[in-house]
Amino acid sequence: MKIRTARPDRGQHSRPRMHCLNKLEAIVVEMQDPKSGVRGVEQKLNITIIPHVISGKDIIAWIANKMKTPPEEALAFGTMLVSYGYIYPLHNHKKLVMCNDTSLYRFQTPYFWPTQKWVAEDVDYAIYLAKRNIRKKGVLEPYEQAHYNHLHEWLNYKWDFIVMQATEQYKAGKERKKPDRVVFDCQERAYWIVNRPPRRTHSAMDCGPDRLIDPNADEKITFDQYRRMNMFYQQAIMRSKVKSSVSLGVLVKYITTYKNHDPFLAPCLPSNPWQTDTDTYWTLNMRRVDIPTKMRVERWSFGLFELLTDLRGRDDFKIFLKKEFSGENLAFWEAAEELKWGTASSISTKAESIFKTFLAPGAPRWINIDGRTMGLTVKGLEHPHRYVLEAAQTHVFMLMKKSPVYKDIQKKALNPAPHNFSAAQLEQNAQNQNPGIHPIILWKQEEEEKVKAAAASAPVDIKAVMSKIDRRNRDIQ
Amino acid sequence: MGKEECKTMLDALNKVTACYRHLVIALGSTSDSQNLREELKRTRKKAQELAVANRTKLTALLKDKTISKEDRSEYERLWVLFSSSMELLEVDMKRSLELGQNFPLKVPTRHLIQTGMTGSTTTVAARAISVQNIKYEADSNIDTVDLGDLQAEISQVSQMMEEMEMKVQVAPWAVEAKQEAGAELKSSMSVGNSSVGVISICEEEPKEHESGGSRDAGFASICAVVIFFVIVTVAVVLGYLVINMS
Repeated sequence: MKIRTARPDRGQHSRPRMHCLNKLEAIVVEMQDPKSGVRGVEQKLNITIIPHVISGKDIIAWIANKMKTPPEEALAFGTMLVSYGYIYPLHNHKKLVMCNDTSLYRFQTPYFWPTQKWVAEDVDYAIYLAKRNIRKKGVLEPYEQAHYNHLHEWLNYKWDFIVMQATEQYKAGKERKKPDRVVFDCQERAYWIVNRPPRRTHSAMDCGPDRLIDPNADEKITFDQYRRMNMFYQQAIMRSKVKSSVSLGVLVKYITTYKNHDPFLAPCLPSNPWQTDTDTYWTLNMRRVDIPTKMRVERWSFGLFELLTDLRGRDDFKIFLKKEFSGENLAFWEAAEELKWGTASSISTKAESIFKTFLAPGAPRWINIDGRTMGLTVKGLEHPHRYVLEAAQTHVFMLMKKSPVYKDIQKKALNPAPHNFSAAQLEQNAQNQNPGIHPIILWKQEEEEKVKAAAASAPVDIKAVMSKIDRRNRDIQ
Repeated sequence: MGKEECKTMLDALNKVTACYRHLVIALGSTSDSQNLREELKRTRKKAQELAVANRTKLTALLKDKTISKEDRSEYERLWVLFSSSMELLEVDMKRSLELGQNFPLKVPTRHLIQTGMTGSTTTVAARAISVQNIKYEADSNIDTVDLGDLQAEISQVSQMMEEMEMKVQVAPWAVEAKQEAGAELKSSMSVGNSSVGVISICEEEPKEHESGGSRDAGFASICAVVIFFVIVTVAVVLGYLVINMS
């Protein structure tokens, strides 16, 4: 329902990421060319014959030919056409992909094409569901029934209109001939599967929130903006930069270490909670779990930063510090991090101070690193840049990694088996989602820990200790 | 009485809106043609007339301060019906303008989309305009000429709706619907022939459409079978009497 007022409309109405639609439409219209387009055949359904049915491999061959791409890219493009709703599959209609075989597809009518301007409204969806209710005599699919009940509650004031319009549209639809009726039903169903996708159907219309600026409108850059852009670029040229060989090397190292831990690139063990709706992964990786998982322990070995940000790692590290690590190594490591992340102008001063405190022979907090690393670092400090202390930092960190405490933790770590859920189990998981531990309980646990830590680090009362020793001596005597 | 008149006019407007939507959906597809454009134009005219009539009637009823509370809530409900119909009509008109501009009929490089629909929409339009047969008498360049008229009509409709909002103070969200969930199932009993034929609920498209369509065919065939058995029974009875008599 749109409330019209005299005030200017400052709402956000432009849907983002849709400027590809114009290009897609041009391609779909080209596909219709009777001479050079995609060839359609007829589909026979008992007695009715419906024309204009195309097979997947014809479409992909046409796309590959037209855009001069290999078949895998043509397949990806075809899937995009299906997931936007320009072409819909006839069998298996909930899976919006293009298959390179004889599966059948049909073109969608332009009214049901995705557009930037027209959003698929809830009122229209309610009318569609009511029509479907009539046709299927009250037996809707579970997700449709859920939507229906929800819309009945929220659009209640328009419900009379929805019922009236649904019955009228149903009656008007019956006026058409049989094959057209079949095609119309398929078209509408395909449109609503794209715009209100059931669970686990990936349609391309899942776009983000609406924006204020229309991405299709031309942008006028003013004189003042150009002037500021010029100033920015001139200043950027004058800044000193890190050599790309150094920064690219660090980037490559980062990617190779973290490749297996990225949930987008590698499967997450036991299963990604966002995909399977089970929270086993989160419960296994909580702070107070007895045995940490292997992936987590491996992450700790990447760097001290990883170790310190993971709370469980930080607890383990505190225990380790009490036994083996010494204070100046940690201080050096922290100073090196400050150098890395600080401002460009302060690099030379910081490098000087670090050299004086930690590295120079006879320095007050001299760290014990091997000769070769020391030589490299000292040489690098003559022309300091951000990553000059990287070698020394790594050496210091290696000391911890090779220590037997860490190796012990690694051996004991868990390696959970990957989950393998069937479609029915996934549905059930989605319905039985666990709300998790209440944050107040976690906060209480943390407060208790803090109290215990404060009590443990309180200064020892000498008198109490002495009196205890005296008592013991007395008992022995 | 004013209420009954209003209701019949609203039903008519509702019917025209539904038919207009069916016609707009066919734009740009292979069932598009000159005739379709003309049907759209005529349906629009009818819709405009009905809209204006409805509006005057409803504003007159709502401005009347002497009506009782139930009457007022009933008129508000009718008002919500009217404004929702008009919103749908406005959106469909704007979309038909866009689609008409994108799919001109005479340009050979702009092909119509092969959607599988090939029949004509004459019957739908006839239902909308409430005539038996439509005579097509427009010239051949109706698709371009009509667009100018369409733009004027769209601005007219938008203006009318703005006026409506300003003049009549109705809170649409306060209206309570009279129909409960699933009400459309009861009203449809008179619509399709409730079937003696098999209705399969499986998801595959051919079967479900077959069962949907064969409801008409099924009903006719069941009638034929019943009549056949009646005739056979009558024949058997007559034969028995003849044999008895001889």
